[in-house]
Amino acid sequence: MSSSNAAADAAWVEPTKNDKPSKDADLKHAWAFLRVGVEHIMTRLHMGMSYSYYILLYTAIYDFCTQNRPHTSAFGAGHRGGASLQGADLYRSLHNYLSDHCKQMREEGEKLSDLELLKFYAKQWDRYTTGANYVNKMFNYLNKHWVKREKDEGRKEVYTVYTLALVAWKQNFFKHLNPGAGGVSRLTQALLKQIELQRNGEQVDSGLLKRVIDSYVSLGLDEADAQRSNLEVYKEHFQEHFIAATQAYYKAESTDFVANNSVSDYMKKAEDRLQEEADRVNLYLNDTTKKDLKETCEKALIAAHSDIIVDEFQPLLNADKNDDLTRMYGLLMRIPNGLEPLRKKFEEHVKLSGCAAVQKIMPTPAAGAESSKTESVDPKAYVEALLEVHSKYSDVVNGPFRAELGFNASLDRACREFVNLNPAASNSTRSPELLASHTDQLLQKNNKEVDADTLEKALEQVMVVFRFVTDKDVFQKFYGKKLAKRLVNHTSASDDSESSMITKLKAEQGFDYTNKFTRMFQDVNLSRDLTERFKEKERSQGISSDLDFQCQVLGTNFWPFNPPATEFTIPREISPTFDRFVKFYNEAHSGRKLTWLWHVSKNELKTTYLAQKYIFMTSAYQMSILTQFNESDTHTFKELQTATSIAEGILKPQLVVLVKMKVLLQDDDTYELNLNFKAKKIKVQLNQQIKSEQKQEHTETLAAVDEDRKFVYQATIVRLMKSRKTMKHQALIQEVTATISTKFTPKIPEIKKGIDHLIEKDYLERAEGSNDTYNYLA
Amino acid sequence: MAEAKKDTVVLQTSDDEQFTVERKVAERSALIKSMMEDLGAQEGSLIPLPNVSSSVMVKILEYCDHHKSEPLPAPDANDQDDARRKTAEIGEWDSKFIQVDQEMLFEIILAANYLDIKPLLDVGCKTVANMIKGKTPEEIRKLFNITNDFTPEEEEQIRKENEWAEE
Repeated sequence: MSSSNAAADAAWVEPTKNDKPSKDADLKHAWAFLRVGVEHIMTRLHMGMSYSYYILLYTAIYDFCTQNRPHTSAFGAGHRGGASLQGADLYRSLHNYLSDHCKQMREEGEKLSDLELLKFYAKQWDRYTTGANYVNKMFNYLNKHWVKREKDEGRKEVYTVYTLALVAWKQNFFKHLNPGAGGVSRLTQALLKQIELQRNGEQVDSGLLKRVIDSYVSLGLDEADAQRSNLEVYKEHFQEHFIAATQAYYKAESTDFVANNSVSDYMKKAEDRLQEEADRVNLYLNDTTKKDLKETCEKALIAAHSDIIVDEFQPLLNADKNDDLTRMYGLLMRIPNGLEPLRKKFEEHVKLSGCAAVQKIMPTPAAGAESSKTESVDPKAYVEALLEVHSKYSDVVNGPFRAELGFNASLDRACREFVNLNPAASNSTRSPELLASHTDQLLQKNNKEVDADTLEKALEQVMVVFRFVTDKDVFQKFYGKKLAKRLVNHTSASDDSESSMITKLKAEQGFDYTNKFTRMFQDVNLSRDLTERFKEKERSQGISSDLDFQCQVLGTNFWPFNPPATEFTIPREISPTFDRFVKFYNEAHSGRKLTWLWHVSKNELKTTYLAQKYIFMTSAYQMSILTQFNESDTHTFKELQTATSIAEGILKPQLVVLVKMKVLLQDDDTYELNLNFKAKKIKVQLNQQIKSEQKQEHTETLAAVDEDRKFVYQATIVRLMKSRKTMKHQALIQEVTATISTKFTPKIPEIKKGIDHLIEKDYLERAEGSNDTYNYLA
Repeated sequence: MAEAKKDTVVLQTSDDEQFTVERKVAERSALIKSMMEDLGAQEGSLIPLPNVSSSVMVKILEYCDHHKSEPLPAPDANDQDDARRKTAEIGEWDSKFIQVDQEMLFEIILAANYLDIKPLLDVGCKTVANMIKGKTPEEIRKLFNITNDFTPEEEEQIRKENEWAEE
């Protein structure tokens, strides 16, 4: 500006009291004096101003505004209730001055462009707004009286002096930087150019951009209420164009980058760009741009390329590239429905991985016939394979996928799928059985090598798989069977671990699920006491026996044992003890019926017929066979059968074992005691489970599950109908399904069978006049 | 004295009398306060106040000194403050302070307006309002020495328009 040059500065002499117009000076004189002051503030503020000059200027304004004379306001000459408020003329003069001042800047600005224009504009803006602030305060009297009165009377386009200065700037300078309708202002163009340079990696003065952009915000004047600003100018003149430029820039950049680089590199690039743009808002943009800018960038950088990003997901999963997966998640989570395709793929991938892991531990086809393949799966290896896959992908969900709910659900669905159905488990009863076997192995005494902590952790892992198992009742049955055996055979590793496992199952499935297990435990403890009491009584009666007798009294409903399938003659060696115990028990608990489970009983026999004394560990049946040889060294099959009363089908396999172990020598139909028996160990285990028994047990257990299920169906239906009295068929099926599915996966035909059965038994009836409604019959 | 000088300003009245006062006393005037903020401290500079005489200045400074420690009203007091100001009674000290002759009362009001001391302007205006309250137009004319330049018709017209305010 010409007025800011050194010559003008040097020529400046501050006016004095003598220059001040008189109190009743007219506009011409008053303004002449004021104009010099305003000009000084607007252009030479750096030179300062004395108190006295300031007061002179203020007083001149005050005097002019308080003059008592007929007024000639151009803004209307209404009667003003007696008080005469001068000011309109002064206001207009000031307005004209500011407009002219801004026009001068416009002329200078027209010669400039780009960075030069920005620098010029920012410098002028700072100077102008600072000056306008001073002038505004100096014209305080005008603001407080004349302007206020005008505004109170609803006059628009009258502003306080500072706002007036902004209006003048906007009308006479800012607007003229615009080339015409629809075009982008030269100032905005310059801004966009600098931003593009910055995006291209060049150093740009962010502070300068901020100063210019802030002026757009300041110029958003609310015509109705100057106190409030709006963002119209910023939005219309800057943001709109900025967003469009951003969109174009990233569209071009990303298309080009994707064509020449890997997806992995592109994701890094996109991540950096998104961060850069987020930072840009803080650097020099108005906060309201944040949302639009973010959306624009996400659209151009992510959504536009989401297909190729999603396509890269599978390879990254296969290669366990967790860093890239993290990045991919971070990008796709920003766009609507961005993660859904990943979740689906992830679920499928986990499912396949689970099946592949199981496939790996399957015995090779050469090892056995097709049918025995699944039976020879090692439970430990099986469960570990399942756990490994679950653990691996849990880590992926909790790491790269930030434990997001949708991915957790996908993982759960996939695990439920492959845990129940996989190459080793062609139906849903196989997994719970294997899991129960694995648990049994863990809890066996001979699993001594693991310490209590390791065992506890292993049991927790069992629970992880257990939660995914659908047929929880199958697990329950097999687990009960194994538990009963551990307890009866005293092969359990520790009571603590047993009860810890039961507690875990109870926490997961409730009291009913583990009720029998708990009772089995109690029975074992009670039996220990009972044996002690019996022995005490024997001692007190002076009865001595070379028999060491231990009893276990097991509640019929809680233990998974059936009564023996054969007759049995109690050998005379044990019969006195047997009789005394029965008497003892009946005295203690009259009215209870004892059923002797010979098939689960076992014995230890000391040999007396051999040079070396051996201890034979036998089943009760083997014991009764061997004791026959106390009478004679040779027996025919017929003789043995008559003496023991054991059914042929059970007796034969027992004899096979004794012959195989060379305790007996078989000659056609005749069995002879092997008097030359030799073994490496003193204790000889003869009590081996017969293979066919194992298989039978497996089938029986599954049959028991089916039998129980029928009951569960019926009980659930009755319970529901009892509380509702009347239900529609569809609703009943749905609720029964929902109730049962915590135990196993119910089958609808079975539910229908249950309903029919209950109708036959008069628990339910079909409602009259309706073919799909049932009534409960009390 | 020398120590206090740092935080004092010198005010010079229309009759060229000088008053050295604490800066915070002078700053009860919004005019002086905002000027000093904008122009910065200027050592040894007088602040000439051509529209205030020394006799009035004495009264003004008495008021400012008494109130120097009170918070200043916000520069743009909003309507709520306005309403409170209009209804609040004049404080005890203020009402004693404003017991001056009529001429001095008007001088104080004018000076408070010029110097932009809003609370003092309010005290002055309220006092005038209290003088008018309950008086007939005749009494008021007499009180302020005003000649009645209305015609009887005009007066009747105004009375009608303001009937709502009676009673």
